[in-house]
Amino acid sequence: MDAPDLRIRNHLYSTFAAEGRAQSTADTAAALELTEDQVAAAYRRLHDAHALVLAPNTTEIRMLNPFAAVETPHRVEAGGRSWFANCAWDALGIPAALHTDGTVGSQCPDCGDPLELEVRGGELIRGGELLVHFVVPARRWWDDIAFT
Amino acid sequence: MAFLRSEEHLERWLDRNGWERGASMTAPTLNELARRWWWTRLEPDWRPRTPAESQAILDEVGLTGEFWRLG
Repeated sequence: MDAPDLRIRNHLYSTFAAEGRAQSTADTAAALELTEDQVAAAYRRLHDAHALVLAPNTTEIRMLNPFAAVETPHRVEAGGRSWFANCAWDALGIPAALHTDGTVGSQCPDCGDPLELEVRGGELIRGGELLVHFVVPARRWWDDIAFT
Repeated sequence: MAFLRSEEHLERWLDRNGWERGASMTAPTLNELARRWWWTRLEPDWRPRTPAESQAILDEVGLTGEFWRLG
């Protein structure tokens, strides 16, 4: 990953953390004074490098892990802002990435009951009785990251 | 991956979807993994981790064995 792609990647992350939405190629081109073609090519390289995830056959950002650019069952609130997360792991990853306390609202996929977790000072102080299950072994996580 | 209320809920969810059991852990273990995995993600000097560095994080929280091998 070269410096121009890292610059775009860092811009995407900082804006997503601040605004809670993914930047389109047009947004990023305008913000960084690049052409939309340059940005689209960079988005594809970042996708190939697993630095972000695009929706299939588009340049629309679906995941900036741990952030989700689409609505999911995992909602994270921290510092008066909120984001969706891609999965349980990412949900706990958002307070970690922001270096802050946070709460996670989720749902048991078996019974549908709402679940709540809270992280304070890096420790899980609520929801510690819950389990997490990984269906996919680590070597196949990126075969289908949306399923993983 | 999802949070589940208990082992009983996990078993029922796997059966209903026809999925084989993979690997499960407690939420506190996942929180420890998340903290180590995502801590630097927003830092300006972030760079991609090597596979060995990622594997080391899994090892540090006790996620060892074939299921947790990245490659």
